[in-house]
Amino acid sequence: MKGGYLARRLVSAFITIVLITVVNFVLFRAMPGSPERVILRGTPNVTQAQLQAARQRWGLDKPVFPDQFVAYIGSTAQGDLGYSFIARGRTVTEVLGQRIWPTVVLFGLGELVAIILGLALGAYTGWRRGGPVDHVGNSLSLVLYSTPYFLLGMLFLLIFATTLRWFPTFGMLTAGMQYPGLWERAVDFLAHLTLPLATVAFGLVGQYAIVMRSSIVETLSEDYVTTARAMGLREGRILRHHALPNALLPTVSLIAINLGYVVAGAITVEVVFNWPGLGTLAVEALTARDYPVLQGVFLLLGVSVVLANLVADLIYGALDPRVRT
Amino acid sequence: MTAAQLQGTAPRGVRVGAGAWDLLKRLLRRPEGLIGLTILATFTVLSLVPQLIAGPLQTAVTATGGRLEPPSGVHYFGTDELGRDMLNLTVHGARISLVIGLLATLVTVFIGVVVGIVAGFVGGWLDALLMRITDFFLVIPTFVLALILTPIIRDLVGSGATEVFGIRMTLIVIVIVIGITSWSSTARIIRSQTLSLRERAFVDRARVIGAGNGHIMRRHILPNVINLIVANAVLTFAGAVLTETTLSFVGLGDPFQPSWGQLLEAARSSGAPGLGAWWYVLPPGAGIVLVVLAFTLVGSALDDLLNPKRRGRG
Amino acid sequence: MTTGPRMTTGPVDARGRALPRQADPSQPLLVVENLRTHFSLDGDTVRAVDGVSFTLQQGEALGIAGESGCGKTTTALSLVRLLPSNARIVEGSIRYFGIDLVQKSDEALRRYRWREISIVFQGAMNALNPVHRLRDQIVEPLRERLDLSPVAARKKAGDLLELVGIPRKRGSAYPHELSGGMRQRAMIAMALACDPAIVIGDEPTTALDVMVQAQILELLERLRRELGLSLVLITHDLSVIAETCDRVLIMYAGRVAEEGRVSEVFRAPRHPYTQKLLGAFPNIQADRRTLEVIPGSPPDLRHPPPGCRFAPRCPAAMAVCTEVVPPEVTFGGVRVACHLYPLGSDGEPVIVGSLARPVGAGDARSTATAEPVSR
Repeated sequence: MKGGYLARRLVSAFITIVLITVVNFVLFRAMPGSPERVILRGTPNVTQAQLQAARQRWGLDKPVFPDQFVAYIGSTAQGDLGYSFIARGRTVTEVLGQRIWPTVVLFGLGELVAIILGLALGAYTGWRRGGPVDHVGNSLSLVLYSTPYFLLGMLFLLIFATTLRWFPTFGMLTAGMQYPGLWERAVDFLAHLTLPLATVAFGLVGQYAIVMRSSIVETLSEDYVTTARAMGLREGRILRHHALPNALLPTVSLIAINLGYVVAGAITVEVVFNWPGLGTLAVEALTARDYPVLQGVFLLLGVSVVLANLVADLIYGALDPRVRT
Repeated sequence: MTAAQLQGTAPRGVRVGAGAWDLLKRLLRRPEGLIGLTILATFTVLSLVPQLIAGPLQTAVTATGGRLEPPSGVHYFGTDELGRDMLNLTVHGARISLVIGLLATLVTVFIGVVVGIVAGFVGGWLDALLMRITDFFLVIPTFVLALILTPIIRDLVGSGATEVFGIRMTLIVIVIVIGITSWSSTARIIRSQTLSLRERAFVDRARVIGAGNGHIMRRHILPNVINLIVANAVLTFAGAVLTETTLSFVGLGDPFQPSWGQLLEAARSSGAPGLGAWWYVLPPGAGIVLVVLAFTLVGSALDDLLNPKRRGRG
Repeated sequence: MTTGPRMTTGPVDARGRALPRQADPSQPLLVVENLRTHFSLDGDTVRAVDGVSFTLQQGEALGIAGESGCGKTTTALSLVRLLPSNARIVEGSIRYFGIDLVQKSDEALRRYRWREISIVFQGAMNALNPVHRLRDQIVEPLRERLDLSPVAARKKAGDLLELVGIPRKRGSAYPHELSGGMRQRAMIAMALACDPAIVIGDEPTTALDVMVQAQILELLERLRRELGLSLVLITHDLSVIAETCDRVLIMYAGRVAEEGRVSEVFRAPRHPYTQKLLGAFPNIQADRRTLEVIPGSPPDLRHPPPGCRFAPRCPAAMAVCTEVVPPEVTFGGVRVACHLYPLGSDGEPVIVGSLARPVGAGDARSTATAEPVSR
């Protein structure tokens, strides 16, 4: 039973990843003008010979389908994502590898904090409907939901960094600093991490709280909760043992579905704080029209989101016995 | 009285295709509806006649103030790094942001409704195929896709100065890109509704008199999903404004027609947050928050009024 | 069936079950007096239960019947105060062996739930938690309310399953893997977990097909005999009451219309509403006759009519019926609230309307509901 569910999800994830790769390929080839001109942009007076050499180098002299396509899929599967246009001959993979972990730290921690806080807040307000915490929390969540992450980030910057001077304004570490030891380095890192982390976490908390709250409210009106009350169980036990496991289900779904959108927000937060991760990389590549890097980012983020969705599906399967059959 | 009625949780009647006036009145009776519509009305006025309120859009040449001046009696919202009056920029930004949002919503909803109705009604392999595509768009980070698509399409279209609805082509490209990347959730919702409508008697009746698929979809299914489309469109509008803002913020906006997102990008790149120039950030930011909030409030009130059933996973 | 760990030095009931310390075994099992439960809805007060009284003796099965919305479920749920947040018991007493449950605080009342009074909900509903296994849901009251050890609780859960006819192994299944009939049996097993004195069945056989219905009723009857339980059965299906109950309470619009031994009430119904209900019963043995339809619908309980609430629909309504609430009068074990039977009358049933002769209890064999089926 469980095996079937798992297998289906794996196949689905694999197909999606293949599709992402195909889209990537089509996009690159869909560029107007011959791709070579874009490659050699910035180089004045391109000669035919130079063009021909570029074409050969990038494998553009072969027919698009199947040769180029197969070559592309093949090299992607092997982890060869081509060369960055801008970064002087370094491979896209190298460039990505350098910028990935700041994003993982920021985004991962942010999601973690948001999930814990959001679910707790949502469960509490759903349980104690109508209380002052509920009303304030609801309004706050609504406003936060309407605020783009980067705007929140800029406001935090203005208030906490520029005006109050509690935190630094940009980057991951203070530029040009020499650290006497690991501790100092860690402290500086954390100081730089705080505001962007707070931005990501605040942006997400509201959504998670709202969904958890409505989920708990709905669950508490279900018949099995009435049965639990009729049994004389304590409210705390009913909430924890009966309501929560059921209420988590739509919340897990939401967190998964949301990941695609959160990526957008994370990119912009990095830009605001000049956090050297994939987000700033994407914007830099965009400005410089460094398409291989852009595609690499798309592939990487796309695959990550698909995998995260897969994990969420597995968690959902673990929580809800009804989907396992 | 049934148990559900006693607890006040029974669904209110859903009159299919309820009159617009009646809906409006019911909407205004709810606090979210009232607040939301008031905010929207205000901004609609601002975006229809920005010149009347703030004069023509200031450019670097026609700027009236010095660099990054804080708010004063002359410039109520201060100035930007080119000396342009922030109030002027913000009011014009309203028009630009909202028109882009509107156009993008139209494209998104159109694609989503067509895909949803066709998939839900025709069923079979077409449905499976369309849903696969829809799911794909739901999973991938569409923002990054938009990031890549926009410059590609811009290069395709060329950089003319033609305007559509008073919006330059560069921004129309954004409209199209948002439309291409955002239609999937609409499609899913409409498909669900179509599926349940398909089983209803009036569809069978139409078939019996020989109506073809296209006719049934247009004349029978569509009118009955209008309510759902409207509620969904309002929420889509909110999303479209947010998406355009974010795309502009990462540099895909048009400095000659600055939307609120573009203004915030300019704010960032001129170092406003680090310099404490809050007046550069707050007005366009407040505009975004208010408009998105208003759409969300109205959209969720509409959702409650028109679609009392809860939607589950997927 | 042995009980959980209880002290047997306190009061005990007729079965030897230990009772709460304050209980008085000489008192009747349950005495409900003038119960009023009101809901507040959109500013109005819905008088859902408005002056209901009855007594339940040990080992008895009482059926509460009436149309949807007559207040029968609310009455039953009021016994354990299982009411939504907008409902309150505004008046009356519910004495369990002399202990007034209405006066108890919420926390004190919790103790009585399931251990003294338990409920079997409709299994077809979502009354079982979909994410927990069956045996875990039965183990829960055993561990939480009786403090059994995990091992003892699991064993007893298995025993309970077998008691209701579910193989012990099926305990590892999830609710969605079981049929409606098995879910209902599981609910019964759960209800018996803490060895209660009273089991309330809230429409326990509705939404089950006829064959399964019969099995469930048979099970309930067997358990009642073997365990000496007292039952309160809520249903709109009079045939169920005819088969399983000793006494029946007919409710209309939040009030008691008639109450008495099933054999007597079904043989000679006195209240016009009861007569109509029984007349709405297709009688397989009788000659073909059109079904009696009760014209009109129950009153809006936010603004109930003064006097007798059935008066607007009653073919025998008199002037006094719309002004004065009919007093409850008892004749030979049957209680009626109708002006046709004022204080001091002889209590002979007055046949109302076109019903030529009263329907015998043995005729109530089909599964027609109290609400008329139109031809």
